[in-house]
Order: sequence, then C-alpha cells, then structure tokens
Amino acid sequence: MNDSPTLADFGQDVWWLVLIKIVGVFALLVVMTLFAIVFERKVVARMQQRSGPNRVGPRGYLQSLADGLKLAFKEDIMPALADRPVYFLAPVIATIPAFLAFSVIPLGPEVSILGQRTPLQLIDAPIGVLVVLACSAMGVYGIVLGGWASGSTYPLLGSLRSAAQMVSYEIAMGLSIVAVFLYAGTMSTSGIVAAQAGDNRLDFFGLQFDGPSWYAVLLPVSFIIYVIAVVGETNRAPFDLPEAESELVGGFHTEYSSLKFALFFLAEYVNMVTVSALAATLFLGGWRAPWPISIWDGANSGWWPLLWFLLKVVAALFVFIWLRGTLPRLRYDQFMRFGWKVLVPTALVWILAVATMRTVSREADLSSGEVAVYVGLPIAAVVLAVLLVASRKSNEPTRIAAVAAAAGSTNPTEPEVLPPVRTGGARHRPAQRSGPARAEGGFPVPPMDLVVPPSPRLASKEPVAAGAPVASGRRRPSPTPRKDSDDA
Amino acid sequence: MLATYAPLVGLFVLAAGFALFSVTAAPFIGPRRYNSAKLEAYECGIEPVDQPLSGGRFPIKYYLTAMLFIVFDIEIVFLYPWAVANDQLGVFGLVEMVVFIATVFIAYAYVWRRGGLEWD
Amino acid sequence: MGGIEIGTAETVVFWVLGPIALAGALGMVLARNAVHSALFLVNTMLALGVFYVVQEAPFLGAVQIIVYTGAIMILFLFVLMLVGRDSSDSVVETLRGQRVAATVLGIGFAGLVGAGIARATEGMVVTGLEGVQGGEGGAADGNIEAIAGLLFTRYLLAFEVTSALLITAAVGAMVLAHIEREPGSRLTQKERSRARFLTSDHPQTLPGPGVYARANSIAAPGRLPDGSPAEASYATGVEPQVVEELPPGDPAGDGRDPGAGRGHGPDAALGTTRGVTR
Repeated sequence: MNDSPTLADFGQDVWWLVLIKIVGVFALLVVMTLFAIVFERKVVARMQQRSGPNRVGPRGYLQSLADGLKLAFKEDIMPALADRPVYFLAPVIATIPAFLAFSVIPLGPEVSILGQRTPLQLIDAPIGVLVVLACSAMGVYGIVLGGWASGSTYPLLGSLRSAAQMVSYEIAMGLSIVAVFLYAGTMSTSGIVAAQAGDNRLDFFGLQFDGPSWYAVLLPVSFIIYVIAVVGETNRAPFDLPEAESELVGGFHTEYSSLKFALFFLAEYVNMVTVSALAATLFLGGWRAPWPISIWDGANSGWWPLLWFLLKVVAALFVFIWLRGTLPRLRYDQFMRFGWKVLVPTALVWILAVATMRTVSREADLSSGEVAVYVGLPIAAVVLAVLLVASRKSNEPTRIAAVAAAAGSTNPTEPEVLPPVRTGGARHRPAQRSGPARAEGGFPVPPMDLVVPPSPRLASKEPVAAGAPVASGRRRPSPTPRKDSDDA
Repeated sequence: MLATYAPLVGLFVLAAGFALFSVTAAPFIGPRRYNSAKLEAYECGIEPVDQPLSGGRFPIKYYLTAMLFIVFDIEIVFLYPWAVANDQLGVFGLVEMVVFIATVFIAYAYVWRRGGLEWD
Repeated sequence: MGGIEIGTAETVVFWVLGPIALAGALGMVLARNAVHSALFLVNTMLALGVFYVVQEAPFLGAVQIIVYTGAIMILFLFVLMLVGRDSSDSVVETLRGQRVAATVLGIGFAGLVGAGIARATEGMVVTGLEGVQGGEGGAADGNIEAIAGLLFTRYLLAFEVTSALLITAAVGAMVLAHIEREPGSRLTQKERSRARFLTSDHPQTLPGPGVYARANSIAAPGRLPDGSPAEASYATGVEPQVVEELPPGDPAGDGRDPGAGRGHGPDAALGTTRGVTR
C-alpha cells in the first residue's frame, strides 16, 4: 500500500526522468493506437466471420503501421475552397489535446527507474480529471475547424453534427463523474485510485461482509452513464453520426488526405484509449490488480500494475469494438433525445441520491445497510414511480395501437402515418422479387427461408441448407491445376 | 507548484512538434499530381455546390444546443468543488446544492416543454 | 503579511505567454475573417487559463479552459458558422479619419488604464495562495476545498443567484432561437422513418450502380450474386446499358456460369462463390 503515490510525490523528478516519462507516454499512445486499429479490425472481422487483416507482419499485426506509412506517401490535397491556415492547423489542434489528456492517467504505483523512485504517471494535480475534461473540450475545435475550413458541404455538416454531439455527451460525461469525486473526496487521479484500494466493508444490519471497492460496483449508474457518454463523445458506433458513411461520406475529414487525415485518425484513437484509461482509473480500480490476482501480495507493486492497467484498457477498448460490431447506427433525433432527455436527468437525480445517502449516513451515523434501506429504497421507489408514470404516458399511443391490434385490426398504425413518400424523381423502383419483406403491421423481417453460408472457419464446408446457392468463400477449383492462380 | 505541470509542457511540445512536422512534411513526402478535379469539394461525383462559401444556412438548433451546453457546463463546474468538499460541507451543502440543481432544472424543464430538445 | 518570491519559472511563463495572449487579443480585433477572430480569442482565453494555473489557482485555470474556451467559444463558432463564412468585416471607412482617431484614442486610453493599474499595484506584496486562502497542509492540496468552503458559505447568495442567471440564459436562447412548429406541420425523422417502412418494399438505401471494380460508368447496373443485373441499382435518368467491362480474369468457364450471356459472372475473376462441389 505504501507504493501508492500521493500528490506530494509529483513534480520531484529529475529532468531526464521527466523526459523519459514524456517520451514513454507519447510512445505508449502511438503504440496503443496502432494496436487498437488492428485489434478493432480483427475483432470486427471475427464477429463478421471474416479473417481480417492477416498479411502484414506476424498474423497481420503490423497492418496499421503499414497503413500509417502508406498514408505518408499519399498526395496531400489542399482543396481550392479551403481556408488555408485553418485547414492546415485543424489536425494539429485535434491531435495535441488528445495526447495531453493522457498525461494525468496513473499507469502504476511508485517504481524505480534507473535508481530513482517515481510514480508511474506523468503529472498529477488536485485538478487531475479536469485536465482530461479541458482537453476533450479543446478537441472539439479540431473537428469543428477541420470541417469548416474544408469549404465543402459534407465536412461542414459533419463537423456541426459532431460538435453538437460531443458537447451534448460531454455534459453527461461530466455529470457521471461527479459521484466519483463525491466518494473519493478528490479530483486527483492517483487519489481516486488510492480510494478504490482495499475492501469495502459493508455492514448490513450487523451482517458484515467485504465488498469490492471499485466505483463501477459502488456507483453502477455513474459507470453506465459514463460508458454511454464516452462512446458518444468519441463519435464511435453506434453514435458515429458525424461520419455516417451512407450520409456524409467521411464527415468532417472528407476533404483531408495524407498525413493530415492520419492525424485526425490518430486523434480519434488516442481519445478512445484515453477515455478507456479514464474509465479504468475512475471506475475499475486503476492499476490495482483485479480480485483473483490481488490475493497475491506482490500484485500491486513494481511493474506488474502496468500490465493490469493495460489489460483493463484493452478490455474497455474491446467493449468499444463490440458495440461497433453489434449495434446499428442511431437516428440523429433519437441520439440527441437520448443524450438530453435520458442521460442528463438520470445523472442529476443519481448525483442527488448518492449525495443524500452519503450525507445521511455521515450525519446520522448509520451503517451502510441501514442507509440503503432507509434512504436508498425510498429514493429508488420514488424514481421508479415517476419513470413508470412517465413511460406509461409517453407510450399511450403504442398501447392503444397494441390493444387495437389484439382486437383484430391488422395494421393499426398505418392510417395515421401514411404521408405520400416521394420516391426519388424518375428513379425506377422495381418491386422486390423475392422474399416476404414485411410482416403484418409494417416492419420487415428477414426471409424465413434464408440460407446462411457456413463459416469459413468450420471444418465442414457443407452449406447450411440443402440447395444453397452459396457454398463457401473458397475459390472455385480450376479444372486443370495452375500454379499462378492463388496469390493476392 | 509549477514543477507539477512542467511535464505537461514537455508533452505539449512533443505532441505539437510531431503534429506540426506531419502537416508540414505531408506535401513534400507525397506525390504531387495536379488535377483540378481533385481540388474541388467532394460531393460524391456530382457537381459541387459552393454552399459553405456563399453563407449556407444551418439549423439554428445548433445554437440552442450550444447554449444549453454552457448552462450545464457551468452547473457541472459548480458541482465539482461541491462534490470534492462534500464531507466538510455537511447537510447545509446538500440543501443548497439541491436548491441550485432544482433551479437549473426549471430552465431545463422549460426548454423541454417548449420542445427545445426535439430534433426533427 | 509576509511576501513570497516570484519564482523564475513563473516569470518565464509570464513573459512567454503574455505576448501570446496579447497577440491573440490584437489578432482578434484585426482579423478580417470572423472565424479567425474567434480563433485568436480562443488563443487568448487559453493563455489566460494557463496564467491562472501559474498563479496557484489550478481549479480556476481548468474552469477557464472548460467553460470559456470549451463552451462559450464553441457557441461563438457555431453562431459564426450559422451566419456563413463570408461575413468578413467591411473595410470601408464610413467616417473620414475614423481609423486614425480610433488608433490615437485607443493608445491613449490604454496608456491611461495601464498607468492607473501600475500605480495601484505598485509595491504590492505577493502573498501566494496561503496568504489568501489560509490553507493549511500545503496550498496545492487545499485549493479546491478552499474554493468550495468560500463559495458555499460566504458567497452562497452569489452562487444561488447564478442559477437564476442560467435560467435567463436558457429562456433567452429559447426565445431567440426556437421555432415553434405546429404539431404535424413537418414530418419528424421518426415519422419519416415509419412511413418509409410502412409504404415501401425497400426501406433501406437502394443498391448502387456497378461502377466498382468492373466498369467505369454509372450506367452499368450492379450485379446480383448470380451475375444478373440488379434492377434496383439502375441510375436515375440513365438508360441502363451493358458497358465494356474489365476482362473477367481467367476464362475458366465450364458452361455452368449463369451469367455467361454477359461474359462471365462478376465473380469469375475473383473466384466464384457459386456451386462448389468437392
């Protein structure tokens, strides 16, 4: 436990140690970015029954490095209508805060580097987490300016959307971490990690047991709101509306090419790594070993914690990728409504509930179990009642429609929403040739007799259903053996 | 005091140097093959309209979002010191924060009721 | 009230950032393009934030960056973009000699204010954070707690009145910017989406023409897996035609190719996905 650094330990390093740490943080972020890109492509490929990149380097793990190098040798285009200085600076403005934000993340306890004891963290300050927030506030500029300076319609629309989205979800993110500060009593990241150390002794009416002290467990609502908010904040799927490919091409960086584009890409992934690291720090115990490992005494000293920390970050990155592989993109109105009408009020109510419970338990000197029963339950009951009433009220039309459908009406919603849909000009829209495209009541369902090609990984190359038109991703064997057929 | 933040300056210099080097070097490393079509705004192959130049109009909705963002940002900024010092402030601190949040909630409820949070 | 020395680092930061902040302010006034002006102002705001940190008020510095540079300047940028990029300043002088007079008066005023401030602050003792907040246990630890202690007790009224100010801001923005719509006068995204699903057999985007990989024309229709043209991909207003395609690779056609009429199927070169028997 005495490895745990305090605020007084920072700002004491000799200059070369500071240099090593700076370069270390920079290199870590670049490597994590390269890794995250390959990791994402491989994981998504696996989720989609593909192989993913497997050509460059061992098992394809150098693919993103090759891509990055390739980008450097692409033509750098400055659009004719671009606002030159701003177009030039926007990638820089996007990149710098992305790197700076990571500086307050604690990577480990005090370690010894070349004989010097030093915390494995670049800086820490009483305002710790606020540095991350300030940097994410600055990161919006890179996007807004990049889109604006391109002098093109898609990027401008993309950047406006993106900025509106980032600021909306920044509110939810800012509110979600208030409860963490409330519990930890500090905003310094190393202090928050230290506050999650050890077991959390719970007292439930005399029944004592040790619970985990991760804030993800103690403050689950905060954690969930944080996770959702940072996905919106980093413009990742399913909230990737600013670069919805089918609508806005690439969003704010449509006009960018070469290394300028690479910088935007880098900034996006560095931001992803940073919010993952912040999630690990604020909610998942930071660099401290998770439970089964923490039984081992040496788990929280030396360089081991760096490993636990990186594992937590990779786990968080995996969730990002998982979401992308699973969820369809939201509609813009759904997205904004969710941010402003669900996340923000939930976070506010949660903060007040937590603060009330904490204050009552402190003032009345109650045990945690008593507080949960006397304060937590009533608050939860009130919140649930309000939500129930609200949702019943807002779902009234749907309920009426459902009742009507049960009473025999085949398509209850159709008459009220049937404005003439303008089909795109002279475009010929042939009727669908095959497949029962729609269910009764409107929404389409996949055809029931859908034939799924077998997984290329499975040993059996047989189609799933008899008479399947598609067999496998394999090449058709040539009638005569050729030697030059199977490259590329 | 300043020694605490000195590494931040170092990282800033490194990141800025890297980024500036990249954007400056890009035109020299890559090939340059002039083509007027490349310099036009990309609009998926159709003739580009120079909307942003001539002052394209955008939904005023974004203004409202930014304004609400400021309102809540300021609220959050007040919440942070309150949360950190919560143990010292006691019941009184809780009550005043409830009053504060309730007051801001009036603004929020007003905007909600008027339909300011709806996107169409 | 014992004074403390101003360290070298603080002095260096001041003399480096001071000119930058000043340059930002001047640039904001002098830039012709409104967005450039806003960017210069962002620069100044950032420098001010760093100044706060240097003066041992890290919380204030962070708040300055989060609220002013992060939120308020973004609002400015939004408004400037709403207006359009060409809203540059007019350089026509409407009053003759206005520019010269403004310069002279401006410099005079700056001198006056500067002299006043210099006189007022002359001989002031630097006390540091502890002198102001009386924090114990290291000033670096106590900044936020000290602010909270003052803000939520002594300046309670100001704090609560801020919330009223925020209401005013929100209501003002609504009055200015909100467009009241008759319900049903314009379809929302939700209604459009529902209508698309209910009325059309093809709710998603239609398939694109077959320009990729095979032909260089939007007149070439996309191909279905069996090689026949996808009718839904016919481009608007363009007569679909069979265009000259890239060579389909190895003509290993063995008569089983359903797309044989149009050369070989689109997948012939890539190796087909059809009818593998092994």
